[in-house]
Amino acid sequence: MKAGLSTSVVLHATLLGFGLFSLSAPRAFEVADVEALPVSIIPMESLTQIQKGDKKATLSEKPAPLPTKRPDDVPDAREVGDNKIDTDKPPTPETKPTPMEATAAPPPAPEPKPQQPVKQAEVAPAPKPEPKPATPATEVAALPAPKEEVKPDPVKEAIAAEPVPTPDAAKLPDQAPAPQAKPQPPKAETAKAPERKEAEKPVKEAAARPKSDEKQFNADEVSALLNKAKAAGGGAKRSTEQASLGGDKTKGAKLSQSEMDALSTQLAGCWALPGAGGGEDLNGLRVSVRFNVDASGRVEGSPRVEKSSGNRNFDESALRAVRKCDRAGLLLPKDKSDTWAEIVVNFDPSQMLF
Amino acid sequence: MENLPLAEPGVQLSVWALFLQAGWVVKLVMIGLLLASVWTWAIIVDKLIGYTRTRAAMNRFEQVFWSGQSLEELYRTLADRKTSGLSSIFVAAMREWKKSFEKGAKSAHGLQTRIDKAMDLALTREMERLEGRLGFLATIGSAAPFIGLFGTVVGIMTSFQAIAGSKSTNLAVVAPGIAEALLATAIGLLAAIPAVIAYNKLSSDVGKIGSRMEGFADEFSAILSRQIDEKVTAKAA
Repeated sequence: MKAGLSTSVVLHATLLGFGLFSLSAPRAFEVADVEALPVSIIPMESLTQIQKGDKKATLSEKPAPLPTKRPDDVPDAREVGDNKIDTDKPPTPETKPTPMEATAAPPPAPEPKPQQPVKQAEVAPAPKPEPKPATPATEVAALPAPKEEVKPDPVKEAIAAEPVPTPDAAKLPDQAPAPQAKPQPPKAETAKAPERKEAEKPVKEAAARPKSDEKQFNADEVSALLNKAKAAGGGAKRSTEQASLGGDKTKGAKLSQSEMDALSTQLAGCWALPGAGGGEDLNGLRVSVRFNVDASGRVEGSPRVEKSSGNRNFDESALRAVRKCDRAGLLLPKDKSDTWAEIVVNFDPSQMLF
Repeated sequence: MENLPLAEPGVQLSVWALFLQAGWVVKLVMIGLLLASVWTWAIIVDKLIGYTRTRAAMNRFEQVFWSGQSLEELYRTLADRKTSGLSSIFVAAMREWKKSFEKGAKSAHGLQTRIDKAMDLALTREMERLEGRLGFLATIGSAAPFIGLFGTVVGIMTSFQAIAGSKSTNLAVVAPGIAEALLATAIGLLAAIPAVIAYNKLSSDVGKIGSRMEGFADEFSAILSRQIDEKVTAKAA
């Protein structure tokens, strides 16, 4: 029995010793950060952040629109185009160039017309400030315009200098009528007020423009817009760069993360996995679906498989998901229609939460 | 055991750390099971050695017994030695034979019965010696898992009480207590599995040895009965 006991004790001691050293704590599981949504929208900057360029050109480093054909430079032009006058309306395609070529010349004719009302408007307010020196307190916006134009009037300046302390302006009218015995100005003020406002409107606009100090009021632009004869639109800035991939307008707007999440959640909800419960192994399958969305938020045409998973049923299920969600209405921000004209969505069941 | 260092001081989930963290009931169960395992293996080793020796001795004895050597001579060589197995049965039978003839037996039938009784007694004693402690293996084989389970249940109970106290159901809080409790079941199974296997093997071995001894006893009884008959007829004549 001694032999057996000693053998057993030695055996256990060695086993325990070995176990204590080799059977130390098992390595902790590595938990990967798993994305919660099985549907992800590819954040293609070229789609969500459209630079000005040409839709058919290849993508190049520097964003540039189609090169313009006209060589003559228009100073201060901001929009790129072949137009003679700078407007920020998008160029409308010339579908019928034939009959209108001749009538395209007349633009000079309407030019004087828009200038005249402006001149009239400018002239009209000039004399008017004179009779009402006390009023400026009420209409602050109108004040700067006359000031510039009526410089030659030294009297007005002198009068204007007096009411400068505007807080007192409220008192002034009270005192003014009594000693000066001028009953007319206050009355004229009320009577003329509506007239003057109407008359001043063009002036305001005209006066406001120069203050933004970048874009002068351009009568040519007005005429160009009024001109229905020829397809108008497009800027006058010339471009000689190689055209790059982009849209008509530069759109800095991106789909925000929450907007993308809303769309992917919606698509995930529409998505029914094929053969769920059928034991088909869907692991590792992944399909990219591309579809165009028109301005109203509807899928244009039908969604296409961009990158197939190799499993036809699986691809079909992704397409069905897009169609089903389209029937219900895709959750897209209406004001960012340019950013989601084309959408690529990845369907990956391995990231689906059950 | 005490001077064994922790495998990795930083990690608190090694086997040794789990043992240290356990409550005293669980610790007691684990220590008890460990001792049972040690004893189980001691019995296993002892029995394996013992049975091998017994079988070898039986082979040797049978060789000598059937070699044609005179039984008186054989008895004289074996009488002073410590006997085991077949030789002890042989010695018991021969002793009874000698005593009866030295005193002058009256009845041949009575002598035969006495010799058989002596051989049965020797056989039973031998079987007892061979089968001794096999019952412990059977007990450990059936009870150790339950003892381990008891430790686990107590450990899980206390760890759940601790969880209720800490008011956190985080798996990191729950897991160590359960892991340490499960260690008790693991040790219980570790002790029970070899015990069950060894018990089955050793008891079948004992059965074989026992039947062989019985066969020898019957054979020797037949030989002695023939000799008694010869002596009785010689006396009568």
